[in-house]
Amino acid sequence: MSPTTAAWLALAFPLAGTIINALLYRTGRTSRLTGYVGTAALALSFAFAIVAFLSLQGRDPEHRQIVSTLYDYAVTGSIDARMAILVDPLSVLMLLVVTGVSMLIHLYSVAYMGGDRGYARFFAYLNFFVFSMLLLVLASNFVLLVIGWAFVTAASTLLISFWYRRQTATRAGVKSFVINVLGDIGIILGTFFILRHTGTLDFLGTFAQAQELGAQHQADLTAGLILLLVGAFAKSAQIPLHTWLPDAMEGPTPVSALIHAATMVTAGVYLIARMHPLFEQSATAANVGAIVGVVTLLVAATIGLVVTDLKRIIAYSTMSQIGYMIMAVSTGAYVAGMFHLMTHAFFKALLFMAAGSVISAMGGEQNLDRMRGFRKAMPFTYGCFVIGGLALAGIPPFSGFFSKDEILLVQAQIGGWHWILYVVGYLAAFLTAIYTWRMIFRAFWGEPNEQARELEHGHLWHAPQPTNPATGEVEDTDVGFPGPEHHIAEREGPMKLAMGTLAFLATIGGIVLIPKTTTWLDDFLEPTFANSSVVHHASNGKLWLGLALGAALGLAGIFIAYKIWATGDGRAALHLRERLAGVHRLFVNKWYFDEIIGWLIVRPASWFGRFAQQTFERIVVNGVFVGGSTGVVRAGSAAVRALQSGFLRAYAALLLVGAAAVILYFLLQS
Amino acid sequence: MSITWYLCLSALVFSLGAAGVLTRRNPLVVLLCLELMLNAGNLALVAFSRMWGNGDGQVFAIIVMVVAACEVAIGLGLVVAIFRRRLPVDVDELRELHG
Amino acid sequence: MSLPLSIPLWLPVAAAFAGLLLPGVATRALTILGAALTFVWSLWAIADFDRAVHGLQNVTDELWISQLGIHYKLGIDGLNLFLIALTAFLWLICAIWAARKAWGTGHKDKLFFFFFALAESAVLGALMAQDLALFILFFDLMLIPFLFIGGIWGPEGTRVPAMLKLFIYTLVGSLLMLAAAIATGVMAADQSGGALSFALSDLRQNVLPKGSQDWIFLFFAAAFLVKMPMFPLHGWMPDGYRTIPLPALAVFSGVLSKVAAYGFLRIVVSLYPDASVHFQDLMLILALCSILYGSAMAFTTTETRLILGYSSVAQLGFIVLGVFALNGDGAQGAIFQMINHGLVVAPAFVVVAYLAGRAGGSEDLRDMGGIAFRAPVLAALFLIVTFATLAMPGSANFAGEFLILLGAFQHSIAIAAIASIGVILASVYALRFFVRAVQNRVGPEVASRELSLTEGLVLVPLVGMILFFAVYPQLALHRGEATITRSVQPAAALIDAPPATEASAK
Repeated sequence: MSPTTAAWLALAFPLAGTIINALLYRTGRTSRLTGYVGTAALALSFAFAIVAFLSLQGRDPEHRQIVSTLYDYAVTGSIDARMAILVDPLSVLMLLVVTGVSMLIHLYSVAYMGGDRGYARFFAYLNFFVFSMLLLVLASNFVLLVIGWAFVTAASTLLISFWYRRQTATRAGVKSFVINVLGDIGIILGTFFILRHTGTLDFLGTFAQAQELGAQHQADLTAGLILLLVGAFAKSAQIPLHTWLPDAMEGPTPVSALIHAATMVTAGVYLIARMHPLFEQSATAANVGAIVGVVTLLVAATIGLVVTDLKRIIAYSTMSQIGYMIMAVSTGAYVAGMFHLMTHAFFKALLFMAAGSVISAMGGEQNLDRMRGFRKAMPFTYGCFVIGGLALAGIPPFSGFFSKDEILLVQAQIGGWHWILYVVGYLAAFLTAIYTWRMIFRAFWGEPNEQARELEHGHLWHAPQPTNPATGEVEDTDVGFPGPEHHIAEREGPMKLAMGTLAFLATIGGIVLIPKTTTWLDDFLEPTFANSSVVHHASNGKLWLGLALGAALGLAGIFIAYKIWATGDGRAALHLRERLAGVHRLFVNKWYFDEIIGWLIVRPASWFGRFAQQTFERIVVNGVFVGGSTGVVRAGSAAVRALQSGFLRAYAALLLVGAAAVILYFLLQS
Repeated sequence: MSITWYLCLSALVFSLGAAGVLTRRNPLVVLLCLELMLNAGNLALVAFSRMWGNGDGQVFAIIVMVVAACEVAIGLGLVVAIFRRRLPVDVDELRELHG
Repeated sequence: MSLPLSIPLWLPVAAAFAGLLLPGVATRALTILGAALTFVWSLWAIADFDRAVHGLQNVTDELWISQLGIHYKLGIDGLNLFLIALTAFLWLICAIWAARKAWGTGHKDKLFFFFFALAESAVLGALMAQDLALFILFFDLMLIPFLFIGGIWGPEGTRVPAMLKLFIYTLVGSLLMLAAAIATGVMAADQSGGALSFALSDLRQNVLPKGSQDWIFLFFAAAFLVKMPMFPLHGWMPDGYRTIPLPALAVFSGVLSKVAAYGFLRIVVSLYPDASVHFQDLMLILALCSILYGSAMAFTTTETRLILGYSSVAQLGFIVLGVFALNGDGAQGAIFQMINHGLVVAPAFVVVAYLAGRAGGSEDLRDMGGIAFRAPVLAALFLIVTFATLAMPGSANFAGEFLILLGAFQHSIAIAAIASIGVILASVYALRFFVRAVQNRVGPEVASRELSLTEGLVLVPLVGMILFFAVYPQLALHRGEATITRSVQPAAALIDAPPATEASAK
């Protein structure tokens, strides 16, 4: 089978799954049929991704970029958008990661979402999301890319507001949608800047002209790429377009794992890697990407230190890790960026799944302040959380260790101001270790709380009355979601299987690119990045320095977290908070981004809407225009009406005068 | 005899009729005055017909007479209807149709 | 071989007239039959359309009033082909929709269908007309049935004043247009020294001097902008939308506004290229104002009809933006967007009717909510309509908007950037409508009911058409390309003429 056929099939199965699940929406609440249908669709898709991978490897390295066209989508005027996919090592890598991780998350959801009355809908959405994501990574032109990009947004919005009776959920959904539409606009306008000089929307056609673009239309290229970056930042939750991601945690936990950790949010990274021939022609645009990435990774890490919502901590951690990736691909470290994307997908999905299990054990409660001592009650979840935490903190030999160091090594190699990126990157890595292990020590160590004690006795705790964890509002039980039942990994085979597999991958994922040992990933991605002009060869000294520094900082972070929260009861943290009250306030309020955006954009827009509604419409539109023109017509008709006096003799007189005037006129004429 | 005299007479009668229409308020008198105006027109038509020596004008005059007869029939009918309904016999009072 | 255009043009009203004379349900059946046959014909016309012909096809040309040089001239080309099909489609569906209701007793009921069908013939006439006077005749005729429909079947109390306002306001525009049209014909005849003729092909031969083009342009623009409606001439819209019953409103909003936008391309830009270039910036700025203002109004009002009304104002802003980008991409996007917007706004009104039926008859957003759980099919169809309304990439509306923005971008980067704010605002009002109408808590008097079979009969074909064009927009784009590009050619040439400003994309 040719790689493109396999890729088309991989794309088709999730779509088929969506349709089947949508048609099966009437299945009863206890049936897990739709869940297995969804998972099977993904398994098939993953299988074909592997087929595509193998068949691509069977070809010459020069022929590993294949375009396959289905039909003309919109070929007219100055655009040439075809329904076509581009299969090359980069897209196949994404294909593998997306379908593989998605399959596991589907499997996890089969059990985790059990009892929720939106079960079939959930799997239809989830399948649709995977279809969209695959469309995004396989797209061979800008239009198809934007389509996949927006479909992903739509799927994400639907899943964030999955429990749509909660106003917090729908509001978070709309927020994420609107910010991501801003990103779409960025990509569309960016495309226009590039299209104007290349005359084609096709990626390969555009890349072929990259050099010429860079030489002759530097300004337009830079503008276009910065606009593309706006799209990447919106989707990948980079500052200042990140505010939707923490709110997106309103969605069910598997959604957070799938969309807001493993796949969708990395689309921005993929976009930059895909556009690398263009970015290499514009240093300015590349630098913008690197700087935003480094700012995000630091800011998100600082917020992660103080947030108390379990899922939001992981969400901020995601933002921070994607900051690393964006920084990597913007500075030419494509393979390192994609490597981190892959390992991050493993360990972050794992962390979310474990967090979901804990949240279930808490009866839906997400606040870290209330969690304590789950270590004995949930050994499996605890184990998974620790593995994920070690990988995230970058402790050897876990996967995160290799990928993060690879990125920072490139910064050291480039030198110059990139040393700042290097230092900030390691500083954030240190913070990452602290906040990750703060979570683990606070949730799992110490005296077991009520829920943990009950669980040790074999009872899963349930809240007497379901409430929205965000507002405390009583849930609308009319529709039965979120489901009344909770599911934890210890009791559900599918969850265990999914988490076990991811834990394994998170542990050994680094194997594909161990310095001085393996270069598998490098070799595989070679054909895509072959024409890259940025080549980095690290010196041994920097390599060992980086590896040692990364391991040491990670361990130091864990040690500090241990000292404060595992043995010190967190009193040291409270003390620190009092000493640095200003900084703490800044972090807790998430650097005031929501407020700033509210002041700058939301309020003026709603003020404008109110002004238009209440004042302008009434006075100008209805007053001046409608009132004016109907007024003139009415005044005119009133004047004419006044002539209709009803006096017969007046009419006769007018008739005579008129006739006389006409005669007089003709007399004078002659 | 010159055409001028006929025309002068016609103009005189027409003016008399017009003055009557404008000044009198009794519908019967108004109808009478209208008749005067029409016949003034007829006189002029017949005079022109004689001047040119063909019958076109006379044909017109006959048509005008027919129209006048119709008009009188309808007009008198209206006056009778006004009497029957005991409405004022005064064109200034009959102004229901004002705008 | 092809059918004379007069047959599909007059068929709907002829069928409804015959129905008027027959008893009982026959009126409905005949009205629907007439609309259905016209729709079948339009499909066949699409299939039969010859891309290679650069000009009108299937022309009917009779000299109608010889003294005035008015021709009864009809024809099809890439510009109106799909608009005709859209008209036929929407009328068919809305006739079926209207047939589900009783519109009064006896003759009153039958009369509705007669007016409804008369409007279809008038719209088809305006789209097919290739003579300026004939166009104006049909253009004004198409409003009259809606005045009666609104005035007779609108809500008690406000219907007559609202319709009177609508009538006077649009009539002022029409009068200006009539004056401008007569001036065009007379001046063109003077200039050429030939006989008076209002046929568009003859008028195109004699381009008027620049000075007279300008005022004629303004008069036409006033008429079209009122009818669309565009900011700031949309004052009649809220009352008009509140008054016209929903099945008629769906076609009114879906098609009538497009005829005005179509008029810009068919008449104004091609007959008055100098003036179009002269007033290009004015029109673009008006379009931007429409987009922003319409969107802002749409996300603050709670009346569902007005959300759609103001969103139409915004969408028509995009269409005008495309027309007055004065290049092939923009014009093509504009024509395509007219079709898309018609296909989107009509099902949206259907949804409004269904939602109101479930919310105790109230069409206010505050009284709705929470039905998605028990009416998943309705919610899913509504979701598709919502995404199409906000022109999500992947919908045909996106393809249209992409071309429009590209056209605007080729003219001015700033205008394209400001217009794209409208895309963001569209997502705000469309999602707000969706979320508050079917999600969140159940409204006070809401009774959740799933879509019934007969309800589905109306909504499903509309949504199906949206999906079809989303998957294969090329069908419409491909056929229209040659003619549409040609219609803006004179104006585009004028822009490019002064020392080649910027090399085009190629």
